[in-house]
Amino acid sequence: MLAVEDVQVRYGAITALRGVSLHVEKDEIVALIGVNGAGKSTTLMTIAGVLKPAQGTITFEGQSIVGRSPEDIVRQGIVLVPEERRIFPGLTVEENLRLGAAIRSDRAGIRQDLEEMCERFPVLGERLGQPAGTLSGGEQQQLAIARGLMSRPALLMLDEPSLGLAPQLVDEIFQLVAQLHEAGVTILLVEQNVERTLEIVDRAYLLNTGEVEYQGAADELREHVDVESSYLGDST
Amino acid sequence: MNMVNDILQFLINALSLGGLYALMALGLALVYSILRLINFAYGELVMVGGYSLLVFGAGPLPWIIVALLSVLMAIVASLLLERVAFRPVRDASANTMLITSFAVSTLLQNGALLLVSPRTRAVRVPSFFIENVTVGGLLISKSNVLSLVVSLVTLAILTLFLRRTVLGSALRAAADDFVMTRLLGVRANQVIAAAFAISGFLAGLVALFWVGRTASVVPQIGLNPVLIAFVASVIGGMGSLAGAVAGGYLLGFLTVGLNTVLPQGLLDFRQAFLFGIVILLLLFRPQGLVSGMQSTERI
Amino acid sequence: MKVGQFRMWAHRYSTLIILLVPLALIALIADLSGQVVLQRIVIVLFINLILVAALQIFMGNSGVVSFGHIGFMGIGAYASALLSMTPEAKAAALRSGYQVVEQVQAPFILALLGGGAVAALVAAVVGFPLMRLSGAGAVIATFALLVIVHVVLIHWSEVTNGPRVIFGIKQFTTLWIAAVCGLLTIVGAYWFKETSLGLKLRASREDEHAAASIGINIIIVRWVAFILSAFVTGVAGGLWSHFITIFSPVAFYLSQTFLIVSMLIIGGLGSVSGAVVGTVVVTAIFEILRSVENAISMSGLLSGTLAGLTELVLATAMIVILILRPAGITGGQELRWPGKRFNSEMQGEHD
Repeated sequence: MLAVEDVQVRYGAITALRGVSLHVEKDEIVALIGVNGAGKSTTLMTIAGVLKPAQGTITFEGQSIVGRSPEDIVRQGIVLVPEERRIFPGLTVEENLRLGAAIRSDRAGIRQDLEEMCERFPVLGERLGQPAGTLSGGEQQQLAIARGLMSRPALLMLDEPSLGLAPQLVDEIFQLVAQLHEAGVTILLVEQNVERTLEIVDRAYLLNTGEVEYQGAADELREHVDVESSYLGDST
Repeated sequence: MNMVNDILQFLINALSLGGLYALMALGLALVYSILRLINFAYGELVMVGGYSLLVFGAGPLPWIIVALLSVLMAIVASLLLERVAFRPVRDASANTMLITSFAVSTLLQNGALLLVSPRTRAVRVPSFFIENVTVGGLLISKSNVLSLVVSLVTLAILTLFLRRTVLGSALRAAADDFVMTRLLGVRANQVIAAAFAISGFLAGLVALFWVGRTASVVPQIGLNPVLIAFVASVIGGMGSLAGAVAGGYLLGFLTVGLNTVLPQGLLDFRQAFLFGIVILLLLFRPQGLVSGMQSTERI
Repeated sequence: MKVGQFRMWAHRYSTLIILLVPLALIALIADLSGQVVLQRIVIVLFINLILVAALQIFMGNSGVVSFGHIGFMGIGAYASALLSMTPEAKAAALRSGYQVVEQVQAPFILALLGGGAVAALVAAVVGFPLMRLSGAGAVIATFALLVIVHVVLIHWSEVTNGPRVIFGIKQFTTLWIAAVCGLLTIVGAYWFKETSLGLKLRASREDEHAAASIGINIIIVRWVAFILSAFVTGVAGGLWSHFITIFSPVAFYLSQTFLIVSMLIIGGLGSVSGAVVGTVVVTAIFEILRSVENAISMSGLLSGTLAGLTELVLATAMIVILILRPAGITGGQELRWPGKRFNSEMQGEHD
């Protein structure tokens, strides 16, 4: 479905990605793990079209998406829920959700999805008319994910959804991601919480200083990480 | 009785001037909020509106048609500038965009100088612009009432647009976080074009009244509106739309107030005072005088 | 070893030679030609060069935009003129001047430095708080400063004769005085870039937070550069007023600001070479256009004047350059020995 081949990304003189290759198949849930600065977020931002690769190819369902604008890539079916949520604090919850469906024009479908989101995320349903900035951190994360789902993406990319949340909220978010996957959403997940992530994903890539250091099924990766755990502390 | 009349007179003058200032500031703030571009050429959009009044007004067309055409010309000019000058430098630094707008402003001003005339040209304005009505011993100029009403109606319509349509909330979202807005699939070009179109519309509207005040147009006519828009949007906190409107009204009240209070000798320095206030505000309240509105943006 | 040393030396000093020698030649040619028109053009070229280089000192190194500098030029112009004019001339030119101001009279050099000092003093007082701003805030605040200075110049009749012209100033600024001041400014601006202050300033331009985190006090560093830059600008104003001898406050407003800013941007604000190249190129365009304008007006081909044509073409040129080369003609790099400029530009890290 998604294939990233030998992608390099530079920020000025610094090379952030040195030839990353990965793939995600339909109905899979795949994780990118690694320490801070390993290039996880950079990889997602590059797939989403915010950063332009200096080299390499990215194809989605057989079509190249390198050089496309972020808004075109959303139309291809890839949605990124970025780090730190980035909800629009001045807009109401409902406006945030409706903007998530900006690429769609089927009013009835949008209304139906909006109701569905309110059922799946009751907190949001109760606060549709409130400015999103008044929500708590966990609620904002739910809103960010719900907003991403409103475009009915073929591939949902989540960047550190558990970051900065209280432990019980972290549980909720991981449950939610697992549920979304069961409901048939293909997911590419970036996380620092390696333990929890490997519990819910099919496969994972371990990134280190801009390169894929190891890849495999969740169990294989867990063994590898245990061996190498010297530098992958249990960061939550 | 006299006292009441004075107060009413003051209110009408201040609200009508403040309304115009609010429209000016809003047009500038809208583009700034999305692109972080201080559009120096905004004043020249008022100029385009002014010269359109001159050109179309020379024919036999009724004034209302002339006015509509002029507003349309300002919108077209604004969209054209975005496409030709600003889009190619959009990804460059903020300084590059800024200097570009400075150059565009100079370009348009000198274009008018060269193509029309460096001298003041008289513009035909309908008679109600210079007429007054007396209501209960109160002398009111019709153009003041008109600008008061037009600005309020325009602001109301814009508020509805920004709050009730998807494009409107996309504009507000883009002002918050442009990249995130694009990550939801909102087209950057569409949002920016919409902002420039509204900015041009507001400049065109302002031109009708600005030209109407003196019934004339010169190439430098845009300078004062753009300066006023600067001041008002700084008072409101750069980039906040509600703040810009509030800043415009506040500035209107301040101007009319200073005109009545200050002695002639100090009146000369009014502009210096105003810009002194701007600098102080930027230093001590960069979020604007009317802040606290950002989180619960009303417009 | 010797070759390597030469290359080191060339790398370090070639820029100044490349910049200074042609400029000195221009002054020499103008002098030898004996043509007054050409000499006047070259004098204005050198004065503008000082203004652009002064702006580069602050704006180029700090990355903070200033639209207020021409205000300092005006302050320097009026202050130095008031210092150098004879009491009689002042009594004639200013209808209601202050007694103290009227009686002072200083030699040209002192008047020039005095003009710079007044500009620097104003910059020091208003500048310190302003240095907290960057980006849009700095743009509007410095623009506001320009407006304020302009309003004060227009309405403070006691020292400026109001919006009317001031006259009775002796013409002290000769071709060689302007040229020497211009060349010295270039050396100074180039030297400033390499001083530890200049280095700190450039570090703060690249990354404010990183610079602050290694202990650079950004406000102080910017403030000192702002004062220095205002001083040089004020001196340039004094040179200008003692060349033109009759002027009014309009000379120090938007069109002069546009001219100086566009020279710096077109040349490339990141380098002193950019300031020089921009000034020379824009002056050349300007003079060619002006002669075309005059020729057309004289031939009577077109009725009416062609006022505005020069600015129109200049603005267009500027937009085109900003679109095609946002970092200016020099790309923000210094011109260097032996034609390796493009090479080092691509490698980047050599600079």
